Amino acid sequence: MQSANMFLKKIVRSSVLPFATQHGMKKDLFPLSRTLSLSLCLKQDSSCSPSEKLDLDAWKKVMKSGLQEEVGEKVSESKELSTLAGAREILEMWRRAGRSVPENISEEQLKTFMECPSKSAKKKYLKFLHLKELYKKNDKRKMEEKRERLEAKEQAPKTDETRRNSFICVWSSVMDRAYNWRAAQSMIFGQPLVFDMSYEKDMTVREVANTVKQIVLSEGCNRRSVDPFHVHFCNFKDDSLYHKEFIKHYRDAWGKLLITVTEQCYTEIFPKDKLIYLTADSPKVLKTFDHNKIYIVGSMVDKNIKTGVSLARAKRLGLETAALPLEKYLLWNSGAKNLTLDQMMHILLTLKDTGDWKKALEFVPKRKYHAFVNKPVNELKKTLNLINALKLGKRQEEVRKQFVKNYSKKLLQK
Amino acid sequence: MALFSQTSHQGFQALLWKCRTFWSPSRCQQLFAVSFSSPNREKVSGFSFMTSSGTALPVDPKGTDAFPTKKKSEIDSEGEKGWDEETKEIAERKLHLSSSTGSPKKQLMSRVLLRRRFASLQPPEKPLQGEEWKRLRESFHSPEIFEEVMLNSMIKCNSPIDVAKSLLTHVAKSNGDIAYVLLVKYLALCVQRGQTSEICDVYDIMKIRFKILDSGAYNLIIRGLSNSDQWRMALTVLEEVKKIMNPSRTNYESCIRAASRHQEMNLAFELYREMLAKDLVPTLDVLQALFDFSRGMKGAELQKDLFDILLYLRENQIYPHKTFMRSIKLWFESIPGGNWRGHLTNIKTSGQCPVCNHQLEDSDLTEEEYNNLRERITKDVIHGTDTFRKTSPQEFEAFQTFVENRLPFDIVIDGLNVSHIKPRKTQCENLFDAVNCLAKKNARLLVLGRKHMLINSSNWKREIMKEMQNKAEFFFAENISEDDAFLLYATLQSGKHCKFVTRDFLRDHKACLSDSVTRHLFRKWQRGHQIVFSTSSKGEPIHFLPAFRYDVVVQTTGDTWHIPYKDTFEEKHAYQIPRKWLCIQQKW
Repeated sequence: MQSANMFLKKIVRSSVLPFATQHGMKKDLFPLSRTLSLSLCLKQDSSCSPSEKLDLDAWKKVMKSGLQEEVGEKVSESKELSTLAGAREILEMWRRAGRSVPENISEEQLKTFMECPSKSAKKKYLKFLHLKELYKKNDKRKMEEKRERLEAKEQAPKTDETRRNSFICVWSSVMDRAYNWRAAQSMIFGQPLVFDMSYEKDMTVREVANTVKQIVLSEGCNRRSVDPFHVHFCNFKDDSLYHKEFIKHYRDAWGKLLITVTEQCYTEIFPKDKLIYLTADSPKVLKTFDHNKIYIVGSMVDKNIKTGVSLARAKRLGLETAALPLEKYLLWNSGAKNLTLDQMMHILLTLKDTGDWKKALEFVPKRKYHAFVNKPVNELKKTLNLINALKLGKRQEEVRKQFVKNYSKKLLQK
Repeated sequence: MALFSQTSHQGFQALLWKCRTFWSPSRCQQLFAVSFSSPNREKVSGFSFMTSSGTALPVDPKGTDAFPTKKKSEIDSEGEKGWDEETKEIAERKLHLSSSTGSPKKQLMSRVLLRRRFASLQPPEKPLQGEEWKRLRESFHSPEIFEEVMLNSMIKCNSPIDVAKSLLTHVAKSNGDIAYVLLVKYLALCVQRGQTSEICDVYDIMKIRFKILDSGAYNLIIRGLSNSDQWRMALTVLEEVKKIMNPSRTNYESCIRAASRHQEMNLAFELYREMLAKDLVPTLDVLQALFDFSRGMKGAELQKDLFDILLYLRENQIYPHKTFMRSIKLWFESIPGGNWRGHLTNIKTSGQCPVCNHQLEDSDLTEEEYNNLRERITKDVIHGTDTFRKTSPQEFEAFQTFVENRLPFDIVIDGLNVSHIKPRKTQCENLFDAVNCLAKKNARLLVLGRKHMLINSSNWKREIMKEMQNKAEFFFAENISEDDAFLLYATLQSGKHCKFVTRDFLRDHKACLSDSVTRHLFRKWQRGHQIVFSTSSKGEPIHFLPAFRYDVVVQTTGDTWHIPYKDTFEEKHAYQIPRKWLCIQQKW
């Protein structure tokens, strides 16, 4: 076995490219697109009986078998790769090594990748692209499946009976018209709701994009509600990132939206004493929804939590602030108490229509709380802590002790 | 390899734990078949017990402290390094499997679960024939990833490489090619088993096949080679990596370790300096290795290099742990003709070392540093991006004039923090005790609080508050303002002698400072000026621990070195200051 191994190595060393790394100057570069020629002799099924000796290094032969032809097509001493192509190659190798790397990457994305300041930022960006790619593939597959299903359906025999009905089928365009009527009414008579668009400088590009997505969603659900708000976008600068993103989402509809978009600040439009700035950092808690007040929502997504930014704005302008009474009505589990803009919109609309906190707070993500509460939360908390202490107390202590013990053992063994 | 035995043993134990799940009979049968490599068994009833396959290797006792046991994370096939290592084939396969798999995010997450599920796949103990592999693969419920999972579990169980070779041979014969992932995993196994010739072979094959390799493979190759007598080759590989990308810290550290193990200290330090130049932060392990292998060696150059490491610790306020400290001590004592002697000691509160009676550096900042720190605190911590976030301009101005009119203070107290010393007592009683305790020495006190303290309530009784205001100056901030920032400002304004009282570690304020130099300054100032307190059961209501008079940092006078070190596990946090010292002096 050993001798065969040595022999093989000799053959390889002599026939294959010399392993000249004395100065680390030599790189054997092949274009990556090269097809691997398979040696046919190895494709045949080796039907060896179990008694036969196994050649353990056969795989090396296989791996090197394609080389004889390749030596001819070897690229002469490689030129310094352009950085982009180099990055592309590195990505390709990562993909082969099974990391979360997208299969196809555009020049623009590649540039963004290169500009990432740190290794972890690069990893995160690649993972993001990879996920995006997977989502795309998923959607494509689903579409195809749907098409297949439809085709199968169409082949099924149809009954030639149209049912008589006094109602005309209401098409979406008709629905849209009805919604627009309502929105138009709200523009005249509705209660204003302000989105404060002054946080662009506090956000990354991706956060701005997420913010706009959330606002589009909340605008949609506002339009469909029974009694819509009159939505204002205040402090809105033309040609800002916000603007660009909105155009991306709404395209031509951006000019036809039944909302008020203004560069002015809300303090210039409305009387100060009527404004209430909603922020999770506020010390005051909203008790009831007031139909005569104008609520302000800061349009900001802070992935890395920036505490007190919107509270600071409200303080600067001397406005009243309020937070949702999440602690009062919900037994909080985990997660940040700042909600997304569309969740806020849903909650405010429900409050406006019904005034029922329980119904309104249905829109808080279920993972963030355990249950609604009837008793005051602090009492419940005590019981919960007690239960947790009884349940976990002993075990936690044990786990910690075990950990400390192991760790000190490790240190001693050094 | 001594390095791997312990952890792989742990890994095996973990594996045993994981195997206490319930197997379906079919899986069980397969398991059984695998673990006894007897594919002919058709019917097996009941459960098979796991057999260990040579996981516990004899530990090679190296008495030199030279090789700290590797962390588990380091062992975990370095090709992954925290990346998910499931191929995209899997993702796609699962897409096709069922449309109800959920979002791609979940798929990426479930990869971990997948690994867990397969963790108990027991690799065979002997090389198998192609036929046998084929049968195993078919009995596995997702054949597409069979080879990967198999190799993973081989790495886990530290199987002999012949087994892996037989698998690769089977793959090569059936596909005519071996996927890169499998090669990397095989490489990981070779590194784990210390098979140098195999590592070289795989490297040759990879280089022929691919233009460049990924960082994980380079990591493995460099680590594998640097642990062998072929370590010079690791250096050439490192050179190659440099052409393509920035080598990682582990790359450098493997090479540094290899060079120093072979007494090539100059080379080791060259690499070390290169690494620092690339802004890579060395681990304490590699610094320790440098001290360990320099033991007993002569050379002024070498001494200077090692002193530089100690100064690096000083600059970055790093405290070595116990074993590292021991290495430093042994190195000092082994310097030929150096006459160094080291002692472990505790420094007196006066800042004097009981062994050599040397007075340690005091923790005062220079005038320039002081002013710099004061400016930065005002600029970064109090104002930050928006003054309104922590206070408001009017309030801050009011506070400034308040402080200016009453300077200087001796002690600034964080009222609310102190008021929570004893949960049994009311908050104002706690504060009252503290103020009384500190006011005894005729010190000028400033207590910072919030306005809600002025409202008469069960916690804040008006009479007691009145009485306290005779003994100390009070400033009440708005209820939504940050009192800590005021605390820092008032203390810094009062001058060097002024101390402050709080149990807070002030980590969030340190984090507001923009550059590391200022952050280190802040820490140094904090060590020297913060009075912490603890409750004592007897007599005195509060027990104050005075601020450090001396600076807790690696320091030297040329013929003495004083090195603070972390004793135990408890001192793992950066804000905890070690109290144990290594005193090293030169005796003539």
